[in-house]
Amino acid sequence: MPDFTDRLRPSQPDGPTTLARERGQSNVSVNELGQHLLSSDGFLERQTRILPILRREPLFSKEKQQNLSRPDRFKLALARAKLLRRLTDQYKWSHDDYKMAEYLVDDVSPYFLHMEMFVTTVREQASKAQRAYWMPLIESWKIIGAYGQTELGHGSNVRGLELEARWDNRTKEFVLHSPTLTASKWWNGSLGRIANHSIVVAQLLLPKAGSPGQYLSQGPHQFIVQVRDMKTHQPLDGVVIGDIGPKYGYATMDNAYMLFDNFRIPHSAMLSRYSSVNPDTGVYTKPERPALVYGSLTYVRANIVHHARLVLARAVTIAVRYTAIRRQFQDRDDKNGPEISVLDYPTVQIRIFPLLATTFALHYTGLAMRSVYQSTRQDVEQGDFRSLAHMHSMSSGLKSLCTMLAADGIETCRRALGGHGFGGGSGLIQLNNDYLSKPTVEGDNWMITQQVAAYLIKKMAAAVESPSTPGADKTEAGFKEFIQNKQGSETRHSGYDVLGKDQDIVKSFEMRATALAYDVYEQRVLKKLSWTSLLIQLHKLSKAQSQSILVGTFYEALSADSTLSSSNKIILRDLFRLFALYTMENEGYEFFCCNAVSQADLNNLSARVQDLMTRIRPHAVKLVDSWMIPDYLLDSALGRYDGRVYEDLYNRAHRLNPLNRITFNPNYWEEEIVKGSGDNGSGILSKL
Amino acid sequence: MPSPPPDWVKALKPSGPQGSELLAAERAQSNINIDKLSELLHTKEALDRQQKLLTLLEPEKVFDKSQNHTLGRVERLQRSLAKAKRLQQLAEQNKWSMEELHAANELIGEPTPYGLHASMFLVTLREQGSPEQHKVFLQRAEKYEIIGCYAQTELGHGSNVRGLETTATWNQEDQTFTINSPTLTASKWWIGSLGRTANHAVVMAQLFIGGKNFGPHPFVVQVRDLETHQPLENVYVGDIGPKFGYNTMDNGFLLFNNVKIPHINMLARFSRIEKDTGKYIRPALPSLVYGTLTWVRSNIVLQSGGVLARGVTIATRYAAVRRQFQDRDAEPNAGENQVLNYKMVQVRLLPLLASMYALHFTGRGMMQLYQENQDRMKAAASPGQNSRGPGPEELRAGADLLADLHATSCGLKALASTTAGEGLEVCRRACGGHGYSSYSGIGSYYADYLPTLTWEGDNYMLTQQVARYLLKSARAVLSGKSADNDTSRILKSYLDRRDKGASFDVLEEDKDIVDAFAWRTAHLTFEALKHRDADKRSWNSLLVDFWRLSTAHSQYMVVRNFYESVSSPQLSQALDPETKTLMHALFRLYALHTLEREAAEFFSSGAVTVRQITLTRTTAVMKLLDEIRPHAISLVDAWAIPDWQLDSSLGRSDGKVYEDLFRRASQENPVNDLVFDPYPWNEALLKNQPPKSKL
Repeated sequence: MPDFTDRLRPSQPDGPTTLARERGQSNVSVNELGQHLLSSDGFLERQTRILPILRREPLFSKEKQQNLSRPDRFKLALARAKLLRRLTDQYKWSHDDYKMAEYLVDDVSPYFLHMEMFVTTVREQASKAQRAYWMPLIESWKIIGAYGQTELGHGSNVRGLELEARWDNRTKEFVLHSPTLTASKWWNGSLGRIANHSIVVAQLLLPKAGSPGQYLSQGPHQFIVQVRDMKTHQPLDGVVIGDIGPKYGYATMDNAYMLFDNFRIPHSAMLSRYSSVNPDTGVYTKPERPALVYGSLTYVRANIVHHARLVLARAVTIAVRYTAIRRQFQDRDDKNGPEISVLDYPTVQIRIFPLLATTFALHYTGLAMRSVYQSTRQDVEQGDFRSLAHMHSMSSGLKSLCTMLAADGIETCRRALGGHGFGGGSGLIQLNNDYLSKPTVEGDNWMITQQVAAYLIKKMAAAVESPSTPGADKTEAGFKEFIQNKQGSETRHSGYDVLGKDQDIVKSFEMRATALAYDVYEQRVLKKLSWTSLLIQLHKLSKAQSQSILVGTFYEALSADSTLSSSNKIILRDLFRLFALYTMENEGYEFFCCNAVSQADLNNLSARVQDLMTRIRPHAVKLVDSWMIPDYLLDSALGRYDGRVYEDLYNRAHRLNPLNRITFNPNYWEEEIVKGSGDNGSGILSKL
Repeated sequence: MPSPPPDWVKALKPSGPQGSELLAAERAQSNINIDKLSELLHTKEALDRQQKLLTLLEPEKVFDKSQNHTLGRVERLQRSLAKAKRLQQLAEQNKWSMEELHAANELIGEPTPYGLHASMFLVTLREQGSPEQHKVFLQRAEKYEIIGCYAQTELGHGSNVRGLETTATWNQEDQTFTINSPTLTASKWWIGSLGRTANHAVVMAQLFIGGKNFGPHPFVVQVRDLETHQPLENVYVGDIGPKFGYNTMDNGFLLFNNVKIPHINMLARFSRIEKDTGKYIRPALPSLVYGTLTWVRSNIVLQSGGVLARGVTIATRYAAVRRQFQDRDAEPNAGENQVLNYKMVQVRLLPLLASMYALHFTGRGMMQLYQENQDRMKAAASPGQNSRGPGPEELRAGADLLADLHATSCGLKALASTTAGEGLEVCRRACGGHGYSSYSGIGSYYADYLPTLTWEGDNYMLTQQVARYLLKSARAVLSGKSADNDTSRILKSYLDRRDKGASFDVLEEDKDIVDAFAWRTAHLTFEALKHRDADKRSWNSLLVDFWRLSTAHSQYMVVRNFYESVSSPQLSQALDPETKTLMHALFRLYALHTLEREAAEFFSSGAVTVRQITLTRTTAVMKLLDEIRPHAISLVDAWAIPDWQLDSSLGRSDGKVYEDLFRRASQENPVNDLVFDPYPWNEALLKNQPPKSKL
C-alpha cells in the first residue's frame, strides 16, 4: 500500500554515493584479487553458476525466516534441503556444486550428517564387504544416516562413553544398551527427526576368557544401526530418539538424543575395516594403529579451518561497507565539517582492520592445512604414518585458534556496527548464532590445545636428546637450533628487526613459540610439574604455535606468489604486517620475555599498527569486495554491495515484518491481546 | 507436547556421583556463612521481597517459561504482552512500589512491551514536564490511560543527539508545532514499546522558531488512536523486526508527515516557548538533565555485577557437576575429574567470579556518590541563590564531584557492561557443548543483555569523555589549579613521585595494588597529554590511546572501590573473619589477573617490574585460584539467584543437570511432536498431523 513514506530518501551523502567514492579512491584490482583468492578450485565459477538457480526458487528466499518458531524454521529447512537434493539431480551437480548451493542458502542442512560424517565413516571404517552392502544404499539415499558419538555426559573424552555394545556369543549379536541417563546420545545432528540409520559409537564389551558372565571393554567402536522404521519413520522398539530442543543457533538442525534398551544388532553391524570380532570365537582383533579410527575427525577440523576465512570475510564485508556509509559526529578538530564516516575513527579501525587482515591470514593457512591433510592422507594410504602426529597437532591447534578468531571476529564486527548491528538487518545474527557452536564442537577449543602441547613437548624432548643431529622436520630443526643458541649465551638482546624486515617478524613468532615450548618442556619433563597445573601454559603454547603458523604461511604465500600485480601485492604486504604486528602487540609481554622483540620495538608497535591502518584505509571497501560475497549470502541491509542501507532497513521493518499486520490491545485491564479478537487472553493461556 | 518416555527410560539415572551429591560436597567443604554474605550483598529486605514475589509469580501459568525459546516472533510478543498485563494487574492489586515491580520484572527475566512506558516515558514526563503538563499527561500515564515511549534515536543517528533530523517547527499563527520527518533517515528507530504497544511518544526533535534551530527538544505526540489503536493520520509507525535478542520488546519506527500538535505538548520544565510572543526561554538547569544520564549509567554499573553473576552461577555449578577425563597424573582407577578442578576452567571462571563482586561493590559506591552529590546540588540550586549549576563543559575548577562522577560513570559504564557481556559468553563457552543449548540459560540472556554495550552511550564513544576529563584535570594539576577530588590527587602524587620511581609491593600489600593502578592511569594521562598538547596530534588520531586510557582509569576505579569495600568497617561487622579473608582474596584475584592481562602497560609505565609480573602470572594468581576454588559454589550461592530466574538446566542449585536437560528435550520440545518424511523426492514434509500449535 503506498503511503507518504514512499517518497522519503535518506539524507545525503547516501550509501551509493559514499561507496562509489570509496571504490574510486583505491587502485586495488578487485577482479585480480578475487581470482587469486577464490578461483583455483573453481569456487568463483561455481558461485556464479549456481546463484541464479537458487534465486529462482521462492523457497530459498530469506525474507521471513527470522520470525519463525523453531518447529516452523525446521520445517522450512527440511523443505529446502529436499529441494537442494532434487536440484542436484536436475542440474547434475557435483558434490562441490551441491556444497556451494548449501553454502549460499546458508541453512545448516538436516541432511548434513548423512552427506558428511555418515558416508565418510562407512567409507573409511567399514570392511570391503560392508562397503559393498551399505555404500549403494547410502549413495542412492535409500537410507538416511547420522553419526552418534557424543553423549549427554561425555563429549571430548571418547573413552568415557557409556553406551554398551555387549557381544552375545550365543545369538552372535551385539546388544546395545544405555545403562544410565548420561549414556544417552546427545547433540547428534540429523538424527533427532530425520535419519533412519546411524553410526553408533559404543564400548565394545567382550566375554572375559575363563570368567563366565564377565565382560571386558575393548574401548569405543563404531556400529551401523537402523534406528527408525522405514515405513512409519517411528523409532524401533527398544530405541528412544528425539530432538534435544532449542539452541543458541543451529535451529535448522535436529540434534538428537538417543537411548537403547537391550537392543540387538547383528554381527555385521560393527564396522570392521581395522578391528573386528570373530563371530565364531568372540575373539577380538585390534586395529594396527588406533589413530586411524579418528581420521574423519581430523578431516572435519581441517575443513573448519579452511572455511573460517569465508565466515570472517562475511562479517568484515558488512562491517567495512556499513561503517564507511555511517556517519557520526563532527571531527573535534573541525567542528563545522560534515559528520565523519565511522570508518575514519581509529577506535573503529582497530576493531575491523586487524580482522580484515585476519581473513587473508586464514585464507593462506586454510590452503596450507588442506594440502597437509591431503598429503598425509596419501602417505597413510601408502602405509606411511610418520606425518600423522604433525597433522593431528596442526589441525587441533589451528581449529582452536581459527574458530576463536572467526567467532570473536563476527561479534566484534557486529558491535562495531553500533545499534543496527543488533537488528535483524545486520546479517550477523544467524551467522553469530550458528558459528558460535564452532569453538566447542569437534573438540573444545580449550581442551584440544593439550594435544598440540603434548606433541611439542615430545618434539622438544627429542631435540634435547640429540641437539646436533639434523631435525626430522622443520619444527624439530627449529627446536635444535634454539637449544644450540641457548647454550651459547643466556643474555642476548633480540636481534630481530620486526619493524623493518618482514622475514624477521616470522622469525620472531617462531622464536616465541619455541621458547614457550622449551619452558613447558622444562617444567613438565625436567621439573616434573603436574599436567593439570600446566594447562594454562599449554594453552598459551598452542596459541603461540598456531599464530606462528598463520604468520609464517601468510609470509611464504606472498613471497612465493608471482601472479599478483604490484599494487595488490603492496597492500597484501601491509595486511600481513598488520595481522602480525597487531597480534604481537596483544601478546607483547610474551614476545618481550623471550627476547623475540626488543623493548624499543615493542613500544613502537602501536604507532606502527596505526600507521598501517592509515595505509589500508583507502582500500578497505575494495578489499572486502575482493571476497566476492554475494548479497544473497550476506542477507544484510547494512552490508549490501550497492550501499542502499537505510532503504533496505526500512523495507524489512515496514514491508517484511509480520508483526506489523497485528494490532494489539495495550490496556492492561483488558485481557484481550489481539485487538478485536475478543480472545480474553484465553487463546494465549490455552497453549501453555 | 510429546508423550512421556517409556518406563525403562524413566528408570535411568545419570552415572557416577550424582549432581546433587557433588554440589553437597562442594557446599560442605566451604565454611563461609552464605546467608550473611547474601545480606551484605543485597540487604535482608531485598531478599525477603524476592522470596515473596517468587511465591506469587512462579505458579501463574501466564509466566511459564518453557516455550520462550521455541516460539516465533509474533507469538512471543503476544505472550510477552500478556505477561506485562498480568504484572500490571498484580502491581495494582498488591500496591507494588517501583522496586517491587522492578524486582518482579527481573524474575520474569525478559523485557515486556510496557517496559519503556514504565521507565523512560514516566520519568521524562515527571522530570521534564511542567506542573500543568503533569496534570494533562503524567497523571493519565501513571494510570496507563495513555501508554507511551521515549523516541530519540533515529535510523541515521544514535549517540550524536545533535544530529537528529526530525523537526518541530513553531507556528506562531495558530500556536502549534509541526512535527515532520524530512528524510528516511529521520525515522525514529529502535524505540522500545512503540512498535505495537504505545499510543503516545515523547519525541526528540530539532526545534525551529522563525527559521532558527534551537537544538533537540522533547515533545509529547499522540501516535495511535485510543479507541482503534490504529496510527493517526500522517503518522507512520511499526515494529522494526526481529533482532539478535530483545525479541519480546516491540522496538519501533516512527515517521511524521507534517503533524500538528498544540503548544502544551512541548515539555517545558527547563526550556519553553512563550505562547504569545514565540520567544524561546533558555533552560534553567541543564545539569539536572545531565544528572539523569549519570544515574542511568551508574545503575548499569550496579546491575552489571548481577548480570555477570547469572552466567557465573550457571557455569560454576555445572563445572562442579560435570566431569571429564581422568587427571593425567592420577591413579588409573580414579574417577573422572570435576571440570572445575581444571586450571584452564578456573582461570576463566574464577576471575569472573571476582569481577561480579568487584562490579557490585563499585556500583554501590557509585550510587552512593551520586546520591551525595544530588543532595549537594539540590542545596546549591535552591531558590534565592543565583549560582548556576555546572554544565558539562563549563566546570569551575575545584567545583566538585560532579565532573568526576560524570566522567567516572561514562568510563565505568563502558568497562562494566563490556565485562558483564563478554563474561557471559566466556561462561557459555566454559560450559562446553551444553552451553550451546538454550536450556543452558545463558545464550538468550546474553543476547538480551548485549544492547547495554551500545545504549546509553556506545562503549567506545564514551571513552572519549573520560579522556577529555582526565586531560583537563592534568592541565589543571600542572597549572596548580587542580580540583579537590581523587583524580587530581592521583595525578599529583604521580608527578611528585615520578623521579623517585614507583616501587609498589603489589605481591604483598593490597594498598600498593591500588596505588599501582593509579600510577598506570596517571602515567597514561600525562602521555596522552603530551601527544595532544606538546606533539599537537589530532584528536581523532588519539582515539585508540584515549580508549586505553579510559579502560585503565576505570579499572583503577573498580580496584579502588573493591579495596575500600573489603576494607570497610561495615564489611568487617557483617562477615566472619574467614569470609572477610576470602573477600580480600577475591579482590587480589580481580586486581592481579587484570594486572597480568594488561602487563605491558603496567610494565612500561614503571608501576611494576617484569619480575613482579612473572611472579604474578606463575605464582600469585595460581595460588589465589587454589585458595578460592573450595568456596566457588558458596560464593555463587550467596548471590541468591532463584532457580526460576536462572531458568537453566546446567545451573540448577540442586545439581540435577542431566535429568533436567533430558526432561526439557523430551517433554517441552514441540519439534518432537512432528514425524517427518525424510526423503528428498517426497515433497510432503510430515507423516503425521501434529496438534495445532499456532495461535
